[in-house]
Amino acid sequence: MNWTWFHKLGSPKWFYQWAANWGGRCVYLGLALLLLGVAWGLGFAPADYQQGNSFRIIYIHVPVAVLAQSCYLGMGIAGFVALVWQMKLAPVFIKSVAPVGAVMALIALLSGAIWGKPTWGTWWVWDARLTSVLVLFLLYMGVIAIQNALDDQVFADKAVAVVSLVGVINLPIIKYSVEWWNTLHQPATFKLTEKPSMPMEMWLPLLFSAVGLYLFAAGIAMWRMQNEVLKRERKANWVKKEVLEHGV
Amino acid sequence: MNYRSYFKAEWLSLLRRKQDTLNALLFFVMVITLFPLGVDPSAEFLAPAAGGIIWCATALSVLMAVEGMYKEDYNDGSLEQWLTSGLSVTLLVFLKVLAQWLVVVAPLLIVLPVLAQMLFLPMSVLGVVMLSILLGTPALFFIGSIGAALTVSLRRGAVLMLLLILPLYIPVIIFATGAVRAAQLDMAYSGQLAILTAISLVALALSPVMAAVSIKASVN
Repeated sequence: MNWTWFHKLGSPKWFYQWAANWGGRCVYLGLALLLLGVAWGLGFAPADYQQGNSFRIIYIHVPVAVLAQSCYLGMGIAGFVALVWQMKLAPVFIKSVAPVGAVMALIALLSGAIWGKPTWGTWWVWDARLTSVLVLFLLYMGVIAIQNALDDQVFADKAVAVVSLVGVINLPIIKYSVEWWNTLHQPATFKLTEKPSMPMEMWLPLLFSAVGLYLFAAGIAMWRMQNEVLKRERKANWVKKEVLEHGV
Repeated sequence: MNYRSYFKAEWLSLLRRKQDTLNALLFFVMVITLFPLGVDPSAEFLAPAAGGIIWCATALSVLMAVEGMYKEDYNDGSLEQWLTSGLSVTLLVFLKVLAQWLVVVAPLLIVLPVLAQMLFLPMSVLGVVMLSILLGTPALFFIGSIGAALTVSLRRGAVLMLLLILPLYIPVIIFATGAVRAAQLDMAYSGQLAILTAISLVALALSPVMAAVSIKASVN
């Protein structure tokens, strides 16, 4: 396998130029897919035979909840890369993705509460998934908090790498422990290994909005990473040239 | 300095700071006292809740004990000595946590029967509670030592450390109280204790490495 792309990722300059091409495309394509999926889901997909129209919040809730977990997984991997190979971009990734993931976890909690009210009759139950998303949100806040508390850049990078890696090792343990502890939530909507249990016309818009949200979040993360790279490399020559030629 | 002499010095200095040990113990008693006062003093509430109350108090007092464990070493330069000593920082962290664990958990287990009586915990379950504390607290100490190492350079790191570490304590609390609850219902509890031990062993294997990375980053 050719590993050049991996080594290139270590160079902030290369990443900056690559993200300048792809960031915007990801954001706009993702936004379009997301809007298409949500509009399709809200307006045209058939109503659920049991939950009626209230199930339609699934087109926001599920993509957001899945993305919240993926972001943390990504941060954990980046934490490992930062500690082992000490790549410059890994801590930049963690710092840029943490707020995105935190917002996703928060939206998942809020939309879940709004969904829970008509179907379960309460805003909140101490159910396994709700609790584990709440813990996930707290883990995100921990990463953001330590990032803000430490002034020294090098130390802060190490610290967030350690916190995300430890968090990602713990996340499955937390997930299974709360699942074992209590469960009321319906089983997972999406499983990569199985055929979906929903009919096609309900499931396809969900796929659209999930893929759209992933692309959108990836684009936003690239933009945030570009900002961070500019801030960190402000003394480098290529940044001066870039700013003089293209502006910020 | 070698590992043996380090452990001995650490152990002696912990033993001679009796007030710190006493404070952790008093904090434990204080948190437990809050529950009957704040929620319900009747035996009908306290007896089934006792396991959970004891474990919440344990988690909090372990965090309080662990929070400052590197503070003095950081301020007086001992941590720099660690790095220049040529010894493995990972092993030094392990020894330090071991000493801390012995000093905090032993007195806690001694007062536990008294507190269990005050919470109307059935005597038959007391053994399981003590066993769960013995098997589960190593995880709390080892995970906590990472947080302590990360926040050692901050003047007010305590709250940040609580925010970082408490979510990671959730599995330990769930399985420990699960074992206690199973014992109260006369069901098998060895499975929960086995998972608790497994979590402690994983924490023992990985945390000193992480704490060592954090200490190296903090000191430089």
